[in-house]
Amino acid sequence: MTLIEAEASGLTASESAKRNDLAARKPYIAEKLRNIAAMEERGEISPIIRLEKSYLCNFQCTHCSAEYYMDRHLEKVFKIKDERRKIDLDDIRRLSREADELGLARFVITGGEPLVMKDFDAVVEAIDPERHYIITDTNGWFLDLERAKHLKAIGVEKVQISLDSMIEAEHDAFRNKPGSYKRVMRAIDASLEAGLNLILSTVLVRGRGKTDEFRSMCEFAKQKGIGLYVSYAKPTGSCTEHPEFVITKEDADIVRELEKDYPVFTHMTPSYGSYKGCITVKGIITVTSTAEITPCPYIDFSLGNLRDTSLKDILARGMRNPWLGPHRPDCLIGEDPKFIKIHTEKTKGAVHLPLPWGQGFSDNDSLLDD
Amino acid sequence: MAAVSDALLFDDFGRCLPTAAQSPAHPRSRRYFTLQQPDIDYGASHARLLRHLGAGETVDAAAFAARAEAILARLRADPATAAITRGVAIPFILPRLAVDDMGRPLDERFLPALGRAFEETYPDYRFTNHNVGGLDGRLHIHPDSRHAGLVEAMGQAERVGIYFPALSEYSIPAALEQVAALPRHFLLAGGVDTSAALISAPGLLLRTDTYPPLLWLGALTSDQPGVGYHFEAYGYNLTFNRRPHLGQAAEYWTCGLSVLDGD
Repeated sequence: MTLIEAEASGLTASESAKRNDLAARKPYIAEKLRNIAAMEERGEISPIIRLEKSYLCNFQCTHCSAEYYMDRHLEKVFKIKDERRKIDLDDIRRLSREADELGLARFVITGGEPLVMKDFDAVVEAIDPERHYIITDTNGWFLDLERAKHLKAIGVEKVQISLDSMIEAEHDAFRNKPGSYKRVMRAIDASLEAGLNLILSTVLVRGRGKTDEFRSMCEFAKQKGIGLYVSYAKPTGSCTEHPEFVITKEDADIVRELEKDYPVFTHMTPSYGSYKGCITVKGIITVTSTAEITPCPYIDFSLGNLRDTSLKDILARGMRNPWLGPHRPDCLIGEDPKFIKIHTEKTKGAVHLPLPWGQGFSDNDSLLDD
Repeated sequence: MAAVSDALLFDDFGRCLPTAAQSPAHPRSRRYFTLQQPDIDYGASHARLLRHLGAGETVDAAAFAARAEAILARLRADPATAAITRGVAIPFILPRLAVDDMGRPLDERFLPALGRAFEETYPDYRFTNHNVGGLDGRLHIHPDSRHAGLVEAMGQAERVGIYFPALSEYSIPAALEQVAALPRHFLLAGGVDTSAALISAPGLLLRTDTYPPLLWLGALTSDQPGVGYHFEAYGYNLTFNRRPHLGQAAEYWTCGLSVLDGD
């Protein structure tokens, strides 16, 4: 892409340079990413695939959406072990092929904390960094310069580091991990030095958008030249016990206004000509450790299991669901009270998440009560 | 105004009942994406329309009010259409303008006027036209929309009308089917009338408590099948854009009806 083309497309010089670099190193992936806008114009979808191969984590965060999937939760609350069959590297290779055939281009390795996974490198290889743009989430604890360089060397393109307050004590308290703020700062510098693309990820709880602390985080991101991804607190996982965290429209609108002045964005922020709104299925799916596919990281209803149903058919199921497929501007699980109520009632007391296809979502779903 | 119909055409909230739609349209609405009726100040609306759009040169504010209220009174007098007046209704004036291309006047006159009106009213917020490459030659009137009648009328004189965002949760094909079943004075809204309505009431899509719907220019087809143009809020800001609709319905999507005085 020439500079003129970049300007016409609305890309910043920095973003244009990143894309040129990717095109030079990984032309197949760059071409798939370029095709996404045309796919959307045709009504096709290209969701990012979040892969939750393991829920092992060295943190126990106040707002964790994955806590109820974790072995430690099942053992502590239900006194059981999860005997369900877990996803393996062959499953991931098959998923990678199916996704590639559909033109999908992006994987996020998440968890749990991905960097505690002993088979992290094997997972990257199974996804295939020559076919897919690979991102990893991390809390930053283990991400020093040596690890950052290693991630880059094995084909990881981007890291998304969680930072939940610019006030060290607040971040550490929210993360229930003393020292974690300092580790995040180290991880940021390590990632940049290693040449990894980097975004920060932070959770927006009700009222936080108005605080000086949040504004200072926006300033920090701007000064560092890195994006700040703002994730709304959702009433799922550990947050089920904190309904006071759930945001209002005002909170969401405050972030939308901050987008004018800072490199801040949410999952629904328009990006380079893409105006998806809520990204369930259309922009993201999650593959759980038991090969179930959910329509977003925070909805604990499965659209199907990859071992039973093809990825293509599962995506089609999602797109024809009245909650998930149609275009909408708000966050379904973060803002729609009716859906939140349905989700809370159906998942209450459930031992194993997500609820299988037919128990949470089904082809009989309706926006209305009858 | 056309002949009175006996059947109820609108629900208690002014939503047009999809009685004739074969294409996708939600039979009922849970009213999640809604608009609120703004306070109508005919003097202020007239001044804005005149200042930014050049509409209202031959129709003063008092005449604007009288003619708009007369439209509403006639609709209320018909039991079949009375309920539409319980929903959102935005009076507007169309300037006298001969239009031979539906895109060019939007690009050159209506959208810039809307941008000025919106940002004058809400200086902290922005109107953004996200459409790349202009609209000249890209928009055409769908023959089933009755919108050609609106364009013809504005070619002859300034016209007063009311915009009703009444076709909520309709696909665009369903909106076209439904308008065919309505009395002749109901026209499917397109670009000039929707823009004029938003200049008249710039805050129509600005809601702080909940999300307003997206407003399609349902009467207009684009150069690409299944792709349409629309107005949409982004937070407290207003946008114009295009997106695929592919003939589908969404809870978030609304088409509008316009009724002109004298029809």
